[in-house]
Order: sequence, then C-alpha cells, then structure tokens
Amino acid sequence: MSSEPLAACGSIPARAGIGLRFQHHQAVIERKPPAAWLEVHTENYMGDGAPTRDLDVIRCDYPMSLHGVGLSLGSAEGLDCGHLARIRQVAERVEPALVSEHLSWSISGGIYLADLLPLPMTEEALATVCRHVEQTQSYLRRQILVENPSSYLRFRHSTIPEWEFLAAVAQRTGCGILCDVNNIYVSAANHGWQARAYLDALPAHAIGEIHLAGHSVRQLGDGRVLRIDDHGSPALPEVWQLYCEALSLFGPVPTLIEWDTNVPPLETLLDEAARAEALLTNAARSLIRADAA
Amino acid sequence: MPTLLELQRAVRGDLLGQNEEADPYVVPAGLTTAARLSVYRNTMFGALTKALRLSYPAVDLLVGQEFFDQAARIFRENEPPRGACLDEYGGGFAEFIAHFRPAASLPYLPGVARLEWAVSGALHAPDVAALDLSCLSALGPADRGRVAFVPHPSVSLVHADCPVDAIWRAVLAGDDAAMAAIDLGSGPVWLLVQRCATRVDVLRISEREWRFAALLCAARPLQAALDEVPDLDASAALAGHLAAGRFTGFSLDQAP
Repeated sequence: MSSEPLAACGSIPARAGIGLRFQHHQAVIERKPPAAWLEVHTENYMGDGAPTRDLDVIRCDYPMSLHGVGLSLGSAEGLDCGHLARIRQVAERVEPALVSEHLSWSISGGIYLADLLPLPMTEEALATVCRHVEQTQSYLRRQILVENPSSYLRFRHSTIPEWEFLAAVAQRTGCGILCDVNNIYVSAANHGWQARAYLDALPAHAIGEIHLAGHSVRQLGDGRVLRIDDHGSPALPEVWQLYCEALSLFGPVPTLIEWDTNVPPLETLLDEAARAEALLTNAARSLIRADAA
Repeated sequence: MPTLLELQRAVRGDLLGQNEEADPYVVPAGLTTAARLSVYRNTMFGALTKALRLSYPAVDLLVGQEFFDQAARIFRENEPPRGACLDEYGGGFAEFIAHFRPAASLPYLPGVARLEWAVSGALHAPDVAALDLSCLSALGPADRGRVAFVPHPSVSLVHADCPVDAIWRAVLAGDDAAMAAIDLGSGPVWLLVQRCATRVDVLRISEREWRFAALLCAARPLQAALDEVPDLDASAALAGHLAAGRFTGFSLDQAP
C-alpha cells in the first residue's frame, strides 16, 4: 500500500464551483457565468451524445471535476472493470482536475441499485474499500477523492466510527477526502453523532473538496424526524455553520454547490456559490493573518 | 456476523422486495428497518423511473404519469439495471409494454417505445467518422460485391404496423390536430433512425429500401443484399447511405 501523492491534471482553485446539470448547459456555453469551476456526474457523460459534446466546449472555459455515483467502491464482489474503463474514457476526454467517488456500495449480484448504500463499518469493509480505491487510482493513474455519504441506517456489527473509517481509507491509500458537510450534518442528526467531532477526526491535509447541499426533513409522526439528503433546496443555516467550522479546521478548500432535484435557475446556484466564496476569502485571510502572527 | 457479501445480498433482496433478510443486521434505534430501507428504495426507484421517462417521453405523454409510474414499477422489478450508466437502462421496455395487459388497448404503444429506444440509442451513440469513400472506389468491380459494411453506431431500423413516427412527432410537439389526423389503419411504416450533426433523424423509407438497409447493417455482403432485395434502385439507395455517413468501415467477405 502506498501513501505517495499521485498526479492530478491541472488544479481546482480553493474557490466555489457549481454542479453543472443538463438544463444549464446552454446558459453556461452562451453566458460563461462567473463560476470558479464546475463539477459533473461522470455517468452522465459516458455516451457521445449532445451533453458530452457540450462538455467538450464548456471544459475549455472552466476547471472541471468528475463526480462518480456508480463505481461502488464498497462492493464485496469487486469493481466493475467495464465501468472503471468508461470512467477513464470520460477522464481522458474531460481532463478533470479532480475525480471523486463515494464511501458506499451500489452493486450486488450484478444489479445496480441506483443509490449510495451504507457500508458496515468493519475491518472487512475497510480492506475492501481500500483495495478498490487503490485499484481505481492505479487504473486512472491519479489520486481520487472519496466522499462521505448521508445515511439512514447503521449495522449492528459495525466496529469503526465512520470518521475513523474515512480517515483510514485516506491514510492507507493516499486518496483525498471529499468532505460533504451536508452529509455529515444529516448522518449526525440521524444517528446521534456530533458533527463537529466528525470534522475534528478528519485529516486536514487530505481534504480535497467540500460539498454544500440541501436536505429535507421528514416528520416521523412520533415527533422525531429523519433528515434526507435530496440536494433539492439551499443548504440550511446549520450546514453553513458547519461549513464555517470546516474552513476553520481545513483552511480554504474548493467548495461545490450541489443541487440535483428541483434544480433552480443558474443564478440561484451562482448566488449560493458567491456566499461560499465570501467565506472562502475570509478563511484565506485568517490563514494569512495566522501566518503573519 | 454476516460477511460483506452476505450483508449486501440481504440488503439487495430487501430493496428489490424479494425478502426481508436485512432486518437482523440493522440497528433499530427507534425506527423500523423497513422504514429506513424505504428511504433508499425511494431514491432508487425514483432514479430508475426518471431514467425510463427520459428515454420514453412520448410513451409517458401517451399513457399519463400515473400509468407510466405503474408500468415502470413492474418493469424495474422484473428488469433492474445491470450497470450504473442509466442512459442505457430500459432497452426491454417496449417488449415489456407489448405484454403489459393494461396497455393492450393501445396497440401502437410498443411500436412508439421501440422507436423511442432507437432515438435514445442514437442520441448517446459513440461518435465515429463516416467511411472514407475513396477506400471504396479503390476496389475493383469483383471486390465491390464482397463489401460487408460496418454501420454507424447511431443507425438503427424500426418498423411498425401503424404510423408510430407520426404519433411520436405529434405527441412530443403537443400537436393535437396532427394527432387527431393520424389514421392507425394506414398501414405499416419502415423507419431509419440516425443521429446527424445536431439532431436525430427519423426517416420513413420504403419496405424494400428498409430490407436492403437492414441486410447491409447486418454486414451482409453487398452482392448478397442486392440479390435478396430485387426490384430496388440499389445504386440510389447505396449512394444515399454513403452520402449520409451511415457506414463507418467495411470488410471484404471471404465466402465463395
């Protein structure tokens, strides 16, 4: 196992980017809005249709990040090598500065279950994820980032806290961490964890990107709630607060405004990005002040 | 304690409604396993139904949202996706609809679905350069009959017993007048689907042209295809295919 840093193509600035969805392709091509960088779902650009050809144009103007939802790093039955090969094809075409995947599984028995399913936090699962991260980094010849998912259930036989599990994956494989503060907030609320303690346990040097998104709150009838990560609304104030804490711990890190359902007008995404950008600027200033002191 | 493989198998079975084996492995913490898993199941089913709706927009409009959701629910239980690229999910939907009893009163629906799948395939097909015609003209007359073409990956051929292309266009355009003017008894249609520079073309061709194109797309050698479809202006048909970039290469058939 290696913890050597692996090469990335170009870089994403420690500024705010937005998740690019199909409905905004035309506006981005025509108006070149002032987003510092863009992230797309890798699986949406595996064909050669119009969206992929749009991206050929868009990538000339923005640093890009590829965010995969289908590799299933936690599958016990091994990675789908065909899918990995297609990720590499997209990466060769888009030349992204970042490539990311999730700490979850989606494939079992050769069936794609179309969601980011939770792993048991066990030594066996940790070894499986590390093996697959290494296989992916070696095949793509670059470092990837691994993102913490939102979760709605835990397994009885889990022995490792999720934050330690994620830190161990980064430490053992040399991968970076995509720290989704909304997901930390959602999972912490659902499972009774301390969100701040989760952040504290992550290795600051490994944080390569932060995600900000909205979630919904489902009332369960008996007065309790389940928080559900649906990326369909602005990030809540509590999540912005957690983001500020993350910046104070990690320093300025490329930050993404992520929105997947009820996708709003481009202007709304840009406004949210501007808000994150202001906080990133503050974080950079405090870093300079700390250096000067 | 289950292995990772056993646990994932149990959760999969639970999500697909095949069993309830995951329950003993899940921390209850005040909420049933079924309620917790239903969050994942909803996301999964939502994503699959959305993928089907994107590939079959005309079917969706023809049957209405509620009916489409119901058909999609049964289809995805019978045929869950085998890969994570959901653009490619749903190739069996037309065949499913053809045997879906509640849709039996819409005999044109499977044909519309087949056309939509061809259009969807054309939209996402790889970009491949068209055949360089100078390679063909360099062949001697004896070799020309042995040419077996490689079709462009966006090209496909669809036929139906009624004018599904007219239905597809009218419903997507929301053109009620065009829809009302369609004569379901007007006979079969023979269609060629292909992606051009900025759009997907759905062309109506004659049955003979269609059969000839189908043979060529199946890599039948040119002379054999000509023999099988007599009474066709084959040179015009072939010139049309070549000019439209419907082939990307060829091999020379070795059969005697």
